[in-house]
Amino acid sequence: MMNRRRFLAASAAGVATLAVARIASAQEPGQQVNTGAANAPMESDRYKPVQLAAKGAPVMDQAKRDELEHHLHCQCGCNLDVYTCRTTDFSCEVSPAMHRDVMALVAGGYSAPEIIAAFKNVYGDRVLMAPPTSGFDIAAWITPFVALLAGIALVLVVLRRLRAPALAPAISPSIADATPTEQARLDALVRNDDR
Amino acid sequence: MILIGELSLWVALLMATWGTTVGFAGGYYKRPELIASAERASYATFGFLLLAALGLWTALLHSDFSFRYVASYTSANLPSIYKVTAFWAGQSGSLLLWAFILSGYSAIAVWTNRSRNRELMPYVTATLSAITLFFVMTLCFGSNPYARLDWIPPDGTGLNPQLQNPGMAIHPPNLYLGYIGTAVPFAFAIAALITRRLDAGWLAAVRRWTLVSWFFNTTGIILGMWWAYVELGWGGYWAWDPVENASFLPWLVNTAFLHSIMVQEKRGMLRKWNVTLVVSAFLLAILGTFITRSGVISSVHSFAQSNVGTWFLSFLVISIAVTAYLVATRLNDLEAKAELESLVSREASFLFNNLLLVGIAFAVLWGTLFPILSEAVTNNKITVGPPFFNKVNIPLGLALLALTGIGPLIAWRRASAENLKRQFTGPVLVGTTTGAACFALGMRDVGALVAYTLCGFVTGTIVQEFWKGVGARRRMYGENAVMALVRLVARNRRRYGGYIVHVGIVILFAAFAGLAFKEEFDVTLKGGENYEAVDPYGNQWRFVSQGVSRYDELNRQTTAVLLDAFRNGKHVGVIKTEKRQYMDSRGVPTFQPATEVGIKEGIREDVYVVLAGVIGEDTAEMRITFNPLVWWVWYGGLIMAIGGLIVMWPQAERRRAQAGYSTVLQPAEQKA
Repeated sequence: MMNRRRFLAASAAGVATLAVARIASAQEPGQQVNTGAANAPMESDRYKPVQLAAKGAPVMDQAKRDELEHHLHCQCGCNLDVYTCRTTDFSCEVSPAMHRDVMALVAGGYSAPEIIAAFKNVYGDRVLMAPPTSGFDIAAWITPFVALLAGIALVLVVLRRLRAPALAPAISPSIADATPTEQARLDALVRNDDR
Repeated sequence: MILIGELSLWVALLMATWGTTVGFAGGYYKRPELIASAERASYATFGFLLLAALGLWTALLHSDFSFRYVASYTSANLPSIYKVTAFWAGQSGSLLLWAFILSGYSAIAVWTNRSRNRELMPYVTATLSAITLFFVMTLCFGSNPYARLDWIPPDGTGLNPQLQNPGMAIHPPNLYLGYIGTAVPFAFAIAALITRRLDAGWLAAVRRWTLVSWFFNTTGIILGMWWAYVELGWGGYWAWDPVENASFLPWLVNTAFLHSIMVQEKRGMLRKWNVTLVVSAFLLAILGTFITRSGVISSVHSFAQSNVGTWFLSFLVISIAVTAYLVATRLNDLEAKAELESLVSREASFLFNNLLLVGIAFAVLWGTLFPILSEAVTNNKITVGPPFFNKVNIPLGLALLALTGIGPLIAWRRASAENLKRQFTGPVLVGTTTGAACFALGMRDVGALVAYTLCGFVTGTIVQEFWKGVGARRRMYGENAVMALVRLVARNRRRYGGYIVHVGIVILFAAFAGLAFKEEFDVTLKGGENYEAVDPYGNQWRFVSQGVSRYDELNRQTTAVLLDAFRNGKHVGVIKTEKRQYMDSRGVPTFQPATEVGIKEGIREDVYVVLAGVIGEDTAEMRITFNPLVWWVWYGGLIMAIGGLIVMWPQAERRRAQAGYSTVLQPAEQKA
């Protein structure tokens, strides 16, 4: 059987060999580092035009338009909505372009649901800031509450089990072993101290 | 020093391997010399990882660009403080920080338990060594901070401008201290499961370490919120980004455990549940790290994609399998030792508190991972953003807030109708009065009204608890009110420290509810032009542009706009917002322009100005936001941290032990 000293000696030799080999291999040619700008330029090709023919007078004001833009996901690769991205990111070219489409659709008399539907047609569901409430994706909305209801049911079952008389013998020794004085002290501690 | 650090990493690998092997062997064969050797290996691992960390810091401070890590995250003209913090700016450096902190925690855990929990310690030491081994292996073979380049560039890429902020200097270490803190309770849980010593003994150590983890997780999250608010410029502090969610998950589970442990301590119940919470907190911390580092989910905070995701996934699967096996084979040892006397009791309310905390954790995890599931099933990419998380979590959060007020009002074991009436009358009165006052003042947002009503109710509960405690001390000891309050907290730190944490929670909820009244304006101003807006309180604001200025600073070119701010006609200050283009030492631009938000802070609201762009020479495009009650988020967090420190203070434990408190259930558990 290998003793501790031999294990350490063998391991040290192995580790030293590995370390030297890796240090040496790291110095071999073939590795690069990006010394230019770390953030790649924004991909403007992620923008797709969303255009519809005008159908009437505008039906929403600027506040409602801004609110609508909070529900559209900027496609530049950030996790922000169109309104937040275009008013935050100096360099994003996608959110201003999406904003221009929204403005044109608002000016063309389209309502918020119609504009969202138009964007969905072009980009798909990923342009929404939240999962759709249809098809498989409705599971996103339902599951947390189903899980919570299941949890409540489980808690009620646990509470009933904890109250079941069958468990009484499991605790009786500790209670039975206590003298009346000790029992009173324990009760006082449990009921009143450090709630 | 750099070479010593580099070699130390490999020696730490050896030490962690040795500690893991002899720790488990020593525990299994009950060989004291092997156990002692494992403990010494734990100290040695810490020592070598300290050297490895010092080596990397030396390379960073000396701008040794022969190292890939140094060249990737610093530049010659980077201020020294940010060369120090660049240690955790990238994948491998932050992994080394993980390993270093973990080894430090392991050494402290071994040292503080050198004469306690001796049956558990071999397995605790071995488990902690095994986790450290995983991290050191990931460093050595997956993402080595000492990897060299084949050529030495004249300058490095520089540090991302958004990381050149004091918040980013202290937020990640805090968060790591919180994340990694979950490893020690996990190790104790594994040791207790292996040895089947599942009595209250392991809980004392676990509770203390969970508090440490909870404290740093809390401060880390709050500091991260502050950094996001002042640095990222999108106008808020929490965006339900996957990485933010990953930090929130262990916090929720740790908070649940810190409540449910009281039920086990006092009543011998929830033993299976508590073990599950302890291991879940650790596994969620690892899952969060996997999410951050694998690139599996898109996040603004993600590290660059690399192969370490596979390492973390493998480790996660193995950890889950081992833990599930241990729990499944020890279910009988985890049976409750007492019966529930009434559904109207503190223990029952804690069960519902745990249900909500874990329910929120599940909802957050579900929403974070759902895009992967949806794409796998429907082949369709979707986004799960703030609208989803807010709709699902706000009702759960409000229910939890209600329980924060209800729990302390219900007695342990059984509460009589008379007792309930006496306890609830005051807080309910305070809550309804608060809600009515908000309504009378014109508040019509239902969510905010419910939130402020509940904030009033919980405040009523906390004040009542302090009032009764102070009153009792004044009657018993004749102390004045201030002395009675100080001594009440000092002598019942766990209970009243917990209430102080609840005060912080109330303040946070009140601040969160304030977001319902946030108002934003798109503004385009030339120099000398002004813009008028009305804030949520009805104040008339006027902002006058002083124009756009451009100038060079330390390592950047700055474009700035100054706004004179007037509230109700009175000049209240100048707000400066900037865009910064950072340059390396050769004057080459690095990174995209970064935002510096202009914030006029106030107790009632912040005025938050972001320079979105400049048109021509003198026209600025800005977003002006009135953010109500944000100031309270930071101070609510501070109060939570203070409450956590009070609860953690070790003297409270000794006092309780002296009072015979911890012996309440020992006889039964020893027999079990």
